[in-house]
Amino acid sequence: MVESLLLGVEALTFLEEEGFPVLKSLLARNEDDAAYTASDLGFPVTLKISSPDVIHKTETGGIRVSLKDETEVRQAFKELVGNFTSSYPEKRLDGVIVQSQGSGLEVIVGMLMDPQFGPVLMFGLGGVFVEAMNDVVFRLIPIEASDAKDMMEELKCYKALKNPRSGPVDLTAVENFLFQFSTFITKHPEVREMDVNPLFISSPGSGVKICDARIKRHKKTE
Amino acid sequence: MMNQLLVRLFSPHSVAVIGASNGFDKLGYHVMKSLVGNYQGKIFPINPKGEKIWGLGSYPSLEAIPEDVDLAVIVVPAHVVPETLHACGSKGVKGIVLITAGFREIEDPGGSIREEEIREIAAQYNLPIIGPNTFGFVNLNSEVNASFTSEFSRIEKGGVAFISQSGGMCHLCGFLAIEQRVAMSILMSLGNRCNLDFPEILLHLVKDDNSTTVIALYIEGLDEPRKLLDVAKSLRGKKPIIAYKAGKSEKGDSASRFHTGSLAGNHAIWKGALRQAGILEVVSAEELLDTAKTLDACSLPGGTRIAVLSGQAGPGMIASDALEPAGLKLSNFSDATQQRINDLLPPIAIRTNPVDMGPAWYNPKNIIEILKTALEDENTDGVIFLAMYASANLKLAEGMVEYMKAVEPFQKPVIACFPAPPGIWDEPIKALDRKKGVAILPTPERAVQAMANLWKVSLFMNGKG
Repeated sequence: MVESLLLGVEALTFLEEEGFPVLKSLLARNEDDAAYTASDLGFPVTLKISSPDVIHKTETGGIRVSLKDETEVRQAFKELVGNFTSSYPEKRLDGVIVQSQGSGLEVIVGMLMDPQFGPVLMFGLGGVFVEAMNDVVFRLIPIEASDAKDMMEELKCYKALKNPRSGPVDLTAVENFLFQFSTFITKHPEVREMDVNPLFISSPGSGVKICDARIKRHKKTE
Repeated sequence: MMNQLLVRLFSPHSVAVIGASNGFDKLGYHVMKSLVGNYQGKIFPINPKGEKIWGLGSYPSLEAIPEDVDLAVIVVPAHVVPETLHACGSKGVKGIVLITAGFREIEDPGGSIREEEIREIAAQYNLPIIGPNTFGFVNLNSEVNASFTSEFSRIEKGGVAFISQSGGMCHLCGFLAIEQRVAMSILMSLGNRCNLDFPEILLHLVKDDNSTTVIALYIEGLDEPRKLLDVAKSLRGKKPIIAYKAGKSEKGDSASRFHTGSLAGNHAIWKGALRQAGILEVVSAEELLDTAKTLDACSLPGGTRIAVLSGQAGPGMIASDALEPAGLKLSNFSDATQQRINDLLPPIAIRTNPVDMGPAWYNPKNIIEILKTALEDENTDGVIFLAMYASANLKLAEGMVEYMKAVEPFQKPVIACFPAPPGIWDEPIKALDRKKGVAILPTPERAVQAMANLWKVSLFMNGKG
C-alpha cells in the first residue's frame, strides 16, 4: 500500500465528482490564463498558489482574496508567483488556482483514523479563532442524520449560529453535508484522512461550499 | 448460554472461596468475612490445611465438595490460577470471580502471557470470569457480597448498577453511596476484563436483571470502545446509562493505559461517541451518584420548566440561579396554581416561583400541599424542594413524613435538600428519600444539576438527544 495526497484543484475536482458542493476552481498556468478564467467564473475571485510542496497556503502568503476585476487578478497573479519563487525557490509551482470567491461562516469538517475508534468525524468552527476557541466536536463514523444535528447543537457557538443578529446560516445544509461526508467515508475505505477546511456556510437556502480540501488515500500498488 | 451463566454468577445458590483463610492479612479472610452471616446460600471455604475457616468446615479441594458449586471466588497466587480454573471447569462451576492480580496489568510481560493462558482455559469450559485483578462484586438484591470489602453490604438495596473499570472507584462510590443513601443493585469492578467486559455486563443488566433501573459506568480506556458503544446504542431507550470517563488530562490518560492494561482513547472523541451512543457523560463521582440516585427514584421530566419551593429564601435563590446555566428555567404558574399557593401561604413572603415557603415553616401539611399544587401545575415539569433545619422547625421533617403517607407517587421529578445537623433529621430523611418519586441530595446546586441530567436522559431515552 502507498499513500497519496490530494490537494487543491485535484482534491476539489475529486470531491465535486463525488457529489459534494465545491467552489468552482481552475488552475491557471499564466497571467492571461488567470485573467480569462476569472472573468469566465465571474468576479469576485480568490487566487491561491498551487504547489505540491505547500499544504498550508496562508503560511506561505499564497492567497489573495476578493479580486474584483481583471486588472486586480493580473496584479495578484504577478505578486503571488513573484513572492513564491523568490521566497521558496526550492518548492515546485504548478500554477495559481482561480476560485469563485467564497463567503459566509467558515467551519472545518474532517475525518481522522483513530487507532481505537477507527474513522472519526470532526466538525468545528473554522477561521482565525479556531485554535483559541477550540470549538470542535467528534462522532464515530457512520453517523445518522440526527447525529449531524446534534453535532451542531453541541458546538459552543451554536447559539450564535442560530442568532439572526449575527446573521443566520444554512444549518440544514450543514446537517446534510455532515451526513454526506460520513456516508462518503463509509463507501471509500481507501480514504484514510480527509479535511475540508474551510467549508463556507451561507445564509439559509444558499447551502454550503467547499473552499479547500486535503485527502489522504491508500492506493494498492500494482 | 452466556446470559444464563451470568444470571447464575450474580445470584449463585452456592459459593466456593478458593484460598479462604483465617489470617487477617490474607484477602481470603476478607472474602469470607463478606459472605459469612450475610449470604444465604451455601459457602464452601477451600483451604489445603483442612481447618475450620470462619467457623465453617473447609475442603482441601474443589473436587472434595460433594455438592454443586455455582460461583467460585479465587484468591490464590497468580501462578496457581491456571490449574485452579481447570479444577473449576471440571467441577462444573458456573462463574468465577478472579480477585488475584499479576496478569496483564503488570509491567512484566509474563503477566500478559498468563492472562492469555487463563482466557483459553475459560473458553475451553465456557467459564465467565469477572477479573482478574478485581475486588469482586456485590449484588445487594441477592445478598451476595463476593468481594474482599464486607462493608459494601451496608449499601441499601435498589436500582443503581455501578460497573467500574477500577476497584478503587467502586470503593469511593460505594462508600459515598452508603453515606448519601444511593440504593444499588450491583456494584462491581471488571478488573482486567478477561472475558466479561462492559458490553456483556450491559446486556445482562438491561435484559436479565429486573432489579437494575439505571446503569452507571466508570470507564478508563478500552481497546475496542466501539463494542461498548454499539451495544449501548442497540439498548438505547431501555434503561438509562450514565458514564464517568477518566483520562482527560494527558497524565491521567497515560496512567489509565497502565492501570488496567489497556490503551486509553482520546477524550474529545469519547465525549462525542458517548453522546452518540445515548450515554450521558458526567464529570465527577458525585454527579455520577446524584444522577444515578435521582434516575432510580424519580420520574423523568417532560420538559425544562422547574418550580423552586424553599423554606428559606436564600437556598431558593441559588437554586433558581443554577437553573439557566444547566439548561432549565423557572416555570410560570398558571393562575389557578398561583391562587391555590396564595391560599396556602400568608402574604408575608414571595409566593411566585421561586416560592418562599417560610411562612408555612411550622405547617408541614401546607408545605406538602404547596408541593402537590406545584406538581399539578401544567406549566411545571419538575420541582426543587428545599428546607433547612432550624431548631424551631424541628418537627417539620417528621410532619412531612406523616403527610406524605397519603400522597400518591409523584409523576414528575422532585429533588429535595433537607440539610440538618447529623443525627437530628436522620430518621425522617431516610423515610422520605427515594419514596414517592422524591430524591434527596445535599445541596441546591447538586439538585439542579441532577434535574438537568434527568432532562438530558429523558431526551436520550426518547431518541432526541
